[in-house]
Formats: sequence, C-alpha cells, structure tokens
Amino acid sequence: MTALRIADGFRRGAAVTFDVDGVAVVGHRGETLAAALLAAGFARLRHSPRDFSPRGAYCFMGACQECVVQVGGVLRQSCQVPVEDGLVVGLKGSL
Amino acid sequence: MMQADLIVIGAGPAGAAAALAASEAGLLVVLLDEDASPGGQVYRAPPAGLSVAPDTRGADERAGDALREAVAASAVVWKGGARVWSISGAFRVDAVTAAGSESFTAPRLVAATGAHERLVPFPGWTTPGVIGLAAATILLKSQGMVPGRRTVVAGCGPLLAAVAAKIVAGGGAVAAIIDLSGPGDWLKALPAMASRPDLLRQGLGWALKLGAACVPVLFRHTVTAVSGGEACEAVTVAPVDAEGRPTGGRSRVFAADALAIGHGLVPGSEIPKLLRAEHRFEPEAGGWAPVRDAFGRCSVAGLYTVGDGAAVAGAEPARLSGRLAGLAAAQDAGRLPAHVSAREAGEARAALDKALVFAGAINRLMRARPAMVEEIAKDTVICRCEDVRRGEIEAAISAGAREINQLKHFTRCGMGPCQGRMCGETAATLLARHVGSREAAGYWTGRPPLRPVPLADLLGEFDYGDIPVPNPAPL
Amino acid sequence: MSTPFDLAIVGGGIHGATVALFCARAGMRTVLFERGSLCREASGVNAGTLTMQMTRVALIPYALQAHAMWASAREWLGHDAGVVVCDGLSLAFTQREVELLSFRAGKRREAGAPIDLVTATAARAVEPGLGEGVLLAAHCKVDGYANAYLTGQAYHAALIEAGVDLREETPVSGVEREEGGFAVQTAAGPVRAKRLVLAGGVWLEEMMAWLGITLPIKVLVNQLAVTERVAPVMRTVVGIASGLLSLKQYPHGTVVIGGGWQGRGDRQRGGVELVPESLIGNMRLACHAIPALRHARLARAWAGLEAETADALPAAGPIPGIPDAYICGSVHSGYTSGPYIARLLAQRILGQEPADPLFPIDRLLASPAASPTPSAAAGRATDEQPQHV
Repeated sequence: MTALRIADGFRRGAAVTFDVDGVAVVGHRGETLAAALLAAGFARLRHSPRDFSPRGAYCFMGACQECVVQVGGVLRQSCQVPVEDGLVVGLKGSL
Repeated sequence: MMQADLIVIGAGPAGAAAALAASEAGLLVVLLDEDASPGGQVYRAPPAGLSVAPDTRGADERAGDALREAVAASAVVWKGGARVWSISGAFRVDAVTAAGSESFTAPRLVAATGAHERLVPFPGWTTPGVIGLAAATILLKSQGMVPGRRTVVAGCGPLLAAVAAKIVAGGGAVAAIIDLSGPGDWLKALPAMASRPDLLRQGLGWALKLGAACVPVLFRHTVTAVSGGEACEAVTVAPVDAEGRPTGGRSRVFAADALAIGHGLVPGSEIPKLLRAEHRFEPEAGGWAPVRDAFGRCSVAGLYTVGDGAAVAGAEPARLSGRLAGLAAAQDAGRLPAHVSAREAGEARAALDKALVFAGAINRLMRARPAMVEEIAKDTVICRCEDVRRGEIEAAISAGAREINQLKHFTRCGMGPCQGRMCGETAATLLARHVGSREAAGYWTGRPPLRPVPLADLLGEFDYGDIPVPNPAPL
Repeated sequence: MSTPFDLAIVGGGIHGATVALFCARAGMRTVLFERGSLCREASGVNAGTLTMQMTRVALIPYALQAHAMWASAREWLGHDAGVVVCDGLSLAFTQREVELLSFRAGKRREAGAPIDLVTATAARAVEPGLGEGVLLAAHCKVDGYANAYLTGQAYHAALIEAGVDLREETPVSGVEREEGGFAVQTAAGPVRAKRLVLAGGVWLEEMMAWLGITLPIKVLVNQLAVTERVAPVMRTVVGIASGLLSLKQYPHGTVVIGGGWQGRGDRQRGGVELVPESLIGNMRLACHAIPALRHARLARAWAGLEAETADALPAAGPIPGIPDAYICGSVHSGYTSGPYIARLLAQRILGQEPADPLFPIDRLLASPAASPTPSAAAGRATDEQPQHV
C-alpha cells in the first residue's frame, strides 16, 4: 500500500510484481498499469516527441494517449493494460 | 464474420439500454466495449481483483450492477475488451479482442461511445500529475486511488464537488476547489437541479463533507499555471470573469502534487463522423453533434447515435436516449409493432424530457467559454501529442489555413495518436476567431482506427504466402 | 467589363498549382480556382513517395527530372514539403517476385533509372531494418519522399508570392468558350480568361465534358496507413517487386504504409471506405519487410483518389480543337512526376518548346463511341493492373 491507495472500503487483489526499466515494482491485481505506476511514484511515464517534455497519464480512459509505454516492447496505453506478474515495462513512449 | 441484427458500440448507460431494448424486441444484438465489463465511464465496474466494500457503494455502483445484471440476463451478445478499429459501410465492424481479430456485421448500428473532456490549455498543463476530472473519478471509483497526496480540483460543474468529496473520503487532501462558475451561477441552476432531488441531495452531501474538511472553494477562479518539472509541484490560480477571462485580480499559489481539472464535456461522435453522417455545431450539446431525430437516427440510413456521444446530457438522459434508439432500431427492422413502439417510446420520451431539465442546468455550468481560449499564451502547447503551440497555430492561420483539417496539415496539430481528441476544441475555437464561426472552421475528418491499435495485435501471425498481394500496376 | 486574365486554371493540386506558378512568374495574369483548399486531394493525401521503382517506364525520364525538382524545392518553389532524398529498395521474397523484379527493374534501368539488382546481404547493408527472406533486391540511389500534407502550405505561399490570384473554396460549375477566351463560371459570377487549363485530377472527366469532350478517367482508391511516431526502424524507401508496397519512416518517426491497395469510393464521395482485409494485407507486407514495425501502433488510415487514363499515361497538353485550352493530370505516380510535367505544360503555354515531349490526349479521344466510364469497382480490366482482393 502507498499513500495514494485508499485504505478503507476497497479490498485489493493479490500483489503482483513487474519490471519498470529494471526496477521491480509491486502492484495489485485489478489495477491498471497506469494507476499502479502512479501509486508507485512514477508520475512521469514518457517524454513528448518534439519538446521532450515529461508526460504522465492524463485521461485514464484510453483517449489521450499520454500514458503510452512499452509493454514487452510494444507501445501500449498503460491505462488499458491490467498489471500482471512479470510484465516488462519501459518508460518510453513513441519516440 | 458474425451476422447480427444490430451492433451497439459502447456499453455505458446509453449503449446498454439500446442493446437491451432491441434485444427484448427480438433482435440479435452484439454489444461491444473496450472495457471488460459493461458500465461505461459513469458505471465502470471495479476490475477483477478489486472489490468495493458494500457500505461504501453509492447509487452509481448500484446502477452499474443493475446494468451489468440486465445485460448478463439478456440475449444480448456481449463482447468485452473489444477494441473496434474499423467500421465500414452498412455496417461491418472489425475489432481486436482477446480472441484475435473479429468481424461483425449488421444492417443497423448504434454509436454510444460517450464524451471526452474539454480541456483549455494553460502553462504547465502537460506536467505529470495534471489529470482530467473524469480521470480522477476513474482513479477514485474503479482503482481505489486518490490522484495525489494533495490535490487541487479545478474546472466547472458538479464533478468538482464529487471528485473533491471522494478524495477527502478516501483519506486524501484537497488543497482547494477552483470553480470557474460563481455562487450566482449555481443559484441560477438550483431550480432546474431540484428536478432531480436525489442528485441535488447527493451534491449537498458533497458540499457538507467538503465544508467539514475545511476545503477552500474559490469561485470565479481558474488555473493559470502549473509549475514543477517532472511532476506537479504548485498550482497558480487567478480570478476570472463570467466568461473565464482573467480579471487581473490577485493570483494565489497552492502547493499540490496533483491537479484534477476539466472544463466540461464534448460529444465523442467519432463513429458518425467516420461514417460521414451529417453533423451540426450545437454548443448546448457540447460541440459538433450528429444530426439526429428524436430516436437518434442519423443522416446515414441504419445508423443511430445516443448518449453523451451524441449530445452531452449525463447518465439518465443517456439511458433514455439509448432505449429510444433501441426501440427505433427494432421498429425499423420491422420487429416491433408501431403501436407498441409508440407507447414505450412515449414513456421514454417523457422521462427524457424531464431528465433534460437537470442536464440543461449542468450543461450551462459546464459550457465552453471561448474567452478562455482567446487568453491562451502564444507559447502554450495546444496539441499535446505533437507539441504544437498556439503561436504555430496562429502562424498557420496567417499562412492561409482556413479549415481545421488544413490547419492539421500545416501544423500536425491533431495528427498525433490522440487523433485530435485533446486539442480539437481549442484548435477549432482559435481558427473560428479568424474564419468567423465554428461551422466555417469545421471538424476533424473521421478515420479508422477509432484509437491507435498495436500492429502486433492487429496483424497476428501470418505467412508471407498468405498475404493476398494484388497484381502489379502496369509497367 | 474587367480585363480578362491571361490564364485561368481550374484545380489546385500539384499540376494546376505548378502551371500557375511558372506562368505567373513569366508575367501572365493568372487565376487559380480550387473548390476546396490547395493540394488537399490527391496532392495532399498520397504517400509522398518520390521513387523510380513504382514509376511507369515511359515516365522515368520525367520522374528523374521531377525528383531533382523536389530535392531543390527550396530554390525553385521557395518552400519545402519536407523532402528527404534517400536510397530505395524494391524486394523480392519469392521466385516469382525475383523474375518480376529482374524484368521490371531492367526495363526501368533501360529508361534511365539508376537501379541495380543486389543480394539480400547488400540490401541489408543499405537497409539494416530488413526482415528475413529477401531473395533479391533492386537498389536505386535516386529515391526519397516528401511530406505530402505540407504540399499545400508550400504551394500556397509560393503562389501568393508569384502574384497568382488564388481562389480557394471556389467551385467552378462550368466553362464557356467565348470571343477571345473563356468564361469560368463560379457562384460569384463568370471570370474571364484568354487561356484555360483544366487540372482537376479524378474530376477531369466532368471538366472535359464542359467543353463537350468525352475523356474517360478511371478512379483508383488508394489506401494508406500511418503509424504513430516510433524510434527509427528504417532509413530507406522500401517496396516490393510488384509495386504493391511503399514504406518509409519520416524524420519525426511516423511510418507511412502505402502501395495502392484499393479501398472503396468514387469521385462524387471521395475515398469513403477502407477495406479491412486490404489494410491488413498491406500492413502485413510492411511488417514482413521491416519486422520492427510490429511494435508500433496504427494511428490512422485513409484513402485518396488517383486519376488514370485508359492507357495509364498522362493527359498533359493542348485540348484538341479548342485553341488556348489545355489539360494537365492523370500522371501515374503523379506526385513524383507532377511538378516536371506541369512545368513542361507551362513552357508550352508560354510559347516555348517544352524540354521533353508532352502527353497530348488525342490518343485517348480516337473513338467517337467512347464506352461509359469504368468505375473503380469495374475498372480492373487487365491482368496488368491491381486487383481488388
């Protein structure tokens, strides 16, 4: 549990561990990758392609594309990917 | 290829109601949604693994459960986790699902894809930690998380109080609520809001909770800047007039690691646009909306549009507009006697008219304020995907861009992976200042895929020999 | 009555805009009508490929000249459309494609294209992103691409600077011949000009009908796809032996996948519909050629219309029987070759001898009992042309 996870009223799924740029990160089954990353302190998920400015998840509903990261080498929206044991995540977006 | 009588895309209250009404009338209905469970944004189901304690479940959770039970108990063919990427004429729908690529076809199609947030850019709005108001509700309701340790909640409409109250209830801190509207605007909305005593009561409950937590509320204020490099550190706010234009009054700074902000909703009518249905600019619906009759029938035969994807009005009007379209689809298919349809539609129509009174009041609070867009600074990023700043957009307009798709060609604004959802309203508002109207500025042409889709998912495994390469062009 | 223009051009694609540019610079009072925005149809939505390896043999000398024009656009146009000059490869993955490639590359080479047949190893040295299974490649050092969507912006500025009376959002409803020239009909009334150029792409058939001439123009509905920006996966223009692939990565990272796979549409409605199987086939071909593409996402797909005459060669020259009227269009690989062919026509209009022969349309008007226009769906008559799949 971290400060962002609400303690009361929610029962979380089993802990899962995934890899973020070589760092082991713990999330809970039922969480999206974007939420688990935010809770683990990864607000910045990528840089914008032209200005190279830091970006993080914005809409959490699959529209804005700001939370795109590499999952197993493939670019995916982290807000649409459920966390799983053994995911290999690269905090690198489109470029 | 699965042949159905009706395809419904989007399983929020509108799409689910359309699917259920048509299915009850005997149509074979396929209901598709990106999410694993029906519910949409408003009734989003907690994901598998995360459960919500019964005592913290509110009206929305109960409505969502009822919706899911109704879909499960019906003959509707449910396809969750389906990313629709192509819709071709009359009507073929291609989706990527867990089973690979699947195709569906039906003579009728209901588009029920909901709305997305309207966002007015300001310096620092691309900083990690700045999220949408709707995003905050998703985090709070379906992920059991607060957006930050200390959050500023800003924008307009009832989501401000809803999000702030849920953050407080979840043990988070709200630094301040920054409301574009003034107390007078809320008072004006009260009589109409009283048409839904349940929702009004819910709102008052939020207000009491926030009062008890001593959360400061700044009316007629807006966020003017977010500072912080890799993540949000501070939020600057300033007073504005009724149109959202800064008055030059004293600004204030709140330390915060998160900002949840939204300026209303815009219909997500990508499917009607893709299918070239006629559209009309309707400010009261949230923006460009498909031209539709009272049953959601579009200008393209067999296409219906319902819910916030057609005109922003909220969950209950969405459900009722969905039911009307479902009945109309059944009737148009010759499967529902006209007198039955007329009676049921009459009931739904009367309920919808009543529900729209409340929605109208909320929409006035959440209306677009073009003056805010005019105030955007030259070097503020408008298009997040492509880092296009206002200055570049103005330069392209000076260079001859007269229409929004031409502006896109000149600047790449809207050409990135969000396909213009984040920047479209702002870019069109800026262009409209020069070409006279939003109608003259136009809207983005709809193109597949509806959202970017990984080629790996789309193409699957294949042998070169199986690719149906056409014959060569003449030499 | 106002003084007539020296030249009126109907159609603001590459052809019309280039003719306008050179004629205006030579001192002609020139007006250009475009019903929408400049270069927003075929000239703005094509794949931007500037390749010899998809160009018809008869057009190779023109395409080489045009390639040089694109590469030096800053000098003669004054603006750039993001042109990148790079190597091009055309690949053969099967024995049949080896034969096809050898034959077609040979013919193009005879016509002047500097194409060499190379081994897979040599091809991989040129393009390290290539996948397995290449049996033979044709390598051409004169290749490259433009950002087609920037074409309109570049020409817009150039035409204004040249003093062209540019009338966008101005549909033309007809043209009448009259004493001393033509009256071009617009909603705001007739506009008079001594000379006329019809440069309406797939709409040339209707425009020619204004003058009482039947010129069948086929409509190709070419599908295209683009990925979002990705880290570099390739550095050349890649195609295949049959010509049904054009693939390149722009400096900003997007990868455009084309090759002329057919969607649905017509000249009334445009390219209205993509065929999912064709799109997937086209993208599979792309990923077979450049496997790292599989990690990217499809951001957008669309279809653009391409005009084609009965013999798939250009319609560029004087209109028979009508003095001072000209046609310019239906140039196969028209984006590549268009600027040069349009410049040749401008030379002719200006009374100069064109540096290379034009493509007069007399050959296309031989039969008075011309058959009805084949539509995109029905127009696939010969084995030599792309087929629907």
